[in-house]
Amino acid sequence: MSKTYEYVPEPALVKGNHDFGSITRLVTDINLRPTPKAWYIVFGISNLLLFVLLASIGYLIWQGTGIWGLNSTVNWGWAIINFVWWVGIGHAGTLISAILFLFRQNWRTAINRFAEAMTIFAVMCAGIFPAIHVGRIWVIYWVFPVPNSMAMWPNFNSPLLWDVFAISTYLTVSFLFWYVGLVPDFATLRDRIKSKFGKIAYGIAALGWRGSNRHWWNYEKAYMILAGLATPLVLSVHTIVSFDFAVSVIPGWHTTIFPPYFVAGAVFSGFAMVLTLMIIVRKIYGLEEIMTDDHIEKMNIIILVTGSMVGFAYLMEFFIAWYGQVEYEKAIFILRATGPYAWAYWIMITCNVLSPQFFWSKKLRRHVGFTFFISIVVNIGMWFERFVITVTSLSTDFLPSSWGYYSPTMWDMLTYLGTFGLFGTFFLLFLRFLPMIAVAELKGAMPQADPHNYNDEGEYAPHEEIIPEPKRSY
Amino acid sequence: MDSHSPKLTDSVSLPEHLDATKTFIGIGVVGLIASFVGFFLDSKQFFFSYLTSFTFFSSIALASLVLLMIHHVTKSSWGTVIRRIPEAFVSKLWVWALFFLPVIFGITSLYKWTNEAYVANDPILLGKQAYLNDIFFIVRQVLYFSIWGYFGYRLHKVSVEMDRTNDWGLTILLRKISAPGIPIFALTVAFASFDWLMSLDAHWFSTMFGVYFFAMSFQAIFPVLILFTFWFHSKGLLKNTIRQSHIYDMGAWFFGFTVFYAYIAFSQFLLIYYANIPEETLWFYHRMEGSWSFITYLLLAGRFALPFVIFLNRDRKHSRTLLGIVSVLILALHFVELHWIVMPTLHHHGMSLSWLDITTFFGLGGVFMGLFFMMLKKNNLVPVHDPGLKPSLAKEYHQ
Repeated sequence: MSKTYEYVPEPALVKGNHDFGSITRLVTDINLRPTPKAWYIVFGISNLLLFVLLASIGYLIWQGTGIWGLNSTVNWGWAIINFVWWVGIGHAGTLISAILFLFRQNWRTAINRFAEAMTIFAVMCAGIFPAIHVGRIWVIYWVFPVPNSMAMWPNFNSPLLWDVFAISTYLTVSFLFWYVGLVPDFATLRDRIKSKFGKIAYGIAALGWRGSNRHWWNYEKAYMILAGLATPLVLSVHTIVSFDFAVSVIPGWHTTIFPPYFVAGAVFSGFAMVLTLMIIVRKIYGLEEIMTDDHIEKMNIIILVTGSMVGFAYLMEFFIAWYGQVEYEKAIFILRATGPYAWAYWIMITCNVLSPQFFWSKKLRRHVGFTFFISIVVNIGMWFERFVITVTSLSTDFLPSSWGYYSPTMWDMLTYLGTFGLFGTFFLLFLRFLPMIAVAELKGAMPQADPHNYNDEGEYAPHEEIIPEPKRSY
Repeated sequence: MDSHSPKLTDSVSLPEHLDATKTFIGIGVVGLIASFVGFFLDSKQFFFSYLTSFTFFSSIALASLVLLMIHHVTKSSWGTVIRRIPEAFVSKLWVWALFFLPVIFGITSLYKWTNEAYVANDPILLGKQAYLNDIFFIVRQVLYFSIWGYFGYRLHKVSVEMDRTNDWGLTILLRKISAPGIPIFALTVAFASFDWLMSLDAHWFSTMFGVYFFAMSFQAIFPVLILFTFWFHSKGLLKNTIRQSHIYDMGAWFFGFTVFYAYIAFSQFLLIYYANIPEETLWFYHRMEGSWSFITYLLLAGRFALPFVIFLNRDRKHSRTLLGIVSVLILALHFVELHWIVMPTLHHHGMSLSWLDITTFFGLGGVFMGLFFMMLKKNNLVPVHDPGLKPSLAKEYHQ
């Protein structure tokens, strides 16, 4: 490595003996090769699930929200749980892209494209639920402040309306961010693809990119500005989702720590989802040299940190519920841990707080199989977190005579299952037609991009430094 | 190649004439004696003022502690050149703990929950007795300060040892101390903030309060670092070590945590304001009453709006004039905010600045800064053998 002063050299971002050309081939050949059969099979399954989603929504519109398991106190069930779950997952992409970019964390280049795509599709899945859960979906446009003859406006004081703005802004900026990053890579594909149609399609998407100095200058500026815009959005989206609950006076919902706690939880589940997908994809497409075990380790550390933050918030909630000595608040928390939904509560604690603690061990956080397992456990836990919040507080409301047990129906489950079809369909299309790694950015983070790594003859000659062992072990 | 690997060229010891230990200890002693006189005149006011000042300086030390831990865990190099400043703040936290004793002597004046007759007629406080009682309160303080004292002492000690032994392996040890330190820090600081500040109004509660106290303290640590850097430079110290790029970094961190502070403080306010439940809103109600409301708006304008607008611009993040002015402002407002948290318990209907606020500030500040200079002069001003130093020195500011 060039940096002579590095004492513990950061592990190389790209393993193997790659140069710029081989990186381009490794990534873009996936798009240029004929479509593998397995892809069609998985795509077919996704399409089937997508059909399940469409059918469930169709039946919902036909019949009304009565087909769900909602009852008189639990008026908000799986729809809101799934919404928050998917939005949460949609957090990692922008975090990796924007915040890690501002922090100059170069390791993000291997996974940012991939995570951004995941973000966009996850937010799309999330967006379905608030739209369909209103019941009369044909007047959904009422959520927008559209001037109308009835002089009716949405309730600007309602966080549900803020959500509409927050989510749509987030989706727009995430999409722009993703697209801007894609432009140089579109150009690469345009130049490499053989088919005429492909050339035209990628050519249009590349917006006339020629890689000139001026193009790069504009690109860097745009990317920087979008990163700056996206960073507060990462916080604001889930903050406003948390407001949906926290501005109310429902015990268990109204607590001031909700905003940062929801954001931490969202990043937590988002990273877990990126890991789940990444571990599969890097194996299938043979990208282990770019999405390395070091990346997995770094992401596991983020999972450990955010999982512990979530644990901190659970503890604060529980402590203050007792400390506040408000009867209703206390009762709700005791019921959460011991009541009819105690099973869900303990699943949540186990998956979200305890399971990430394994990552204190360096060995485990570098273990691919174990990471894959935990990444799924985490997202199960995060789904149950939203379940616990939504259902426990509603099912045992202020009037004990109305208490009842909430269970979902087949339609709740099919709709949720169907969103995986939507997600899978888009994600597979992404894998097939777009470069899943930000080739241009990755090259910029490679040692070959550092002019200090060339000798006077212009040959690539990275400077290796021998690092002495520590004098003793600590 | 080697032209790119920078070297430490500055002198790394604090010149004798700049050692302000004695001056500060002198100020401290005078301030504390004056405050002690105040104790006989108005003991209640004395304890409240003392608590405010104590919390102010403690918050600087605590923010330094977590900054160091994060620094070690993330292996970040930008801050290596300024690391001795936070290290000097935390190294003697165990001595600083002794200055909490007056608060313990004053708990009956400070905290209503210590009054048994009062608690007996209050079902809510009666319910909290398992946590809010004299003995457990004292036990917790001992626990907090032993933990902080230990971490502060160790982090400084190991870092200084590296200067002597020239063994970069000690950074591994620093990381091993810091990693478990961070969650322990989070819990102790949250509960300490409940004990010191939130329980002043024993009925009031907010799950965010620990995060809020952390956020305001962490915003205030960057102005401290910035001002010390400027002071060093004005004395001709570390001019080629702490460079423009580091000043820019501190400005950027300061900007980021200004937004974070505002986010936390505003979320806490908004949720309580919106839900409008009497047991929660009362706390803010008192702080929106009479002249206290003036401070509420001052904090909004001075601690968030002004620095946000100024430092949104990239170039201004390394303007020394602006950074200097805003740093002083933020530190002043950090004190004002703590005052605004503590004092409405004593003065319900409006501000009342007592001379004891000033004497306790200088008394405790003198001691705090005295301890700081004592540790600063003893060791090199930068960790000379830290392997992170070279990358830190190599940081260049790209326009």
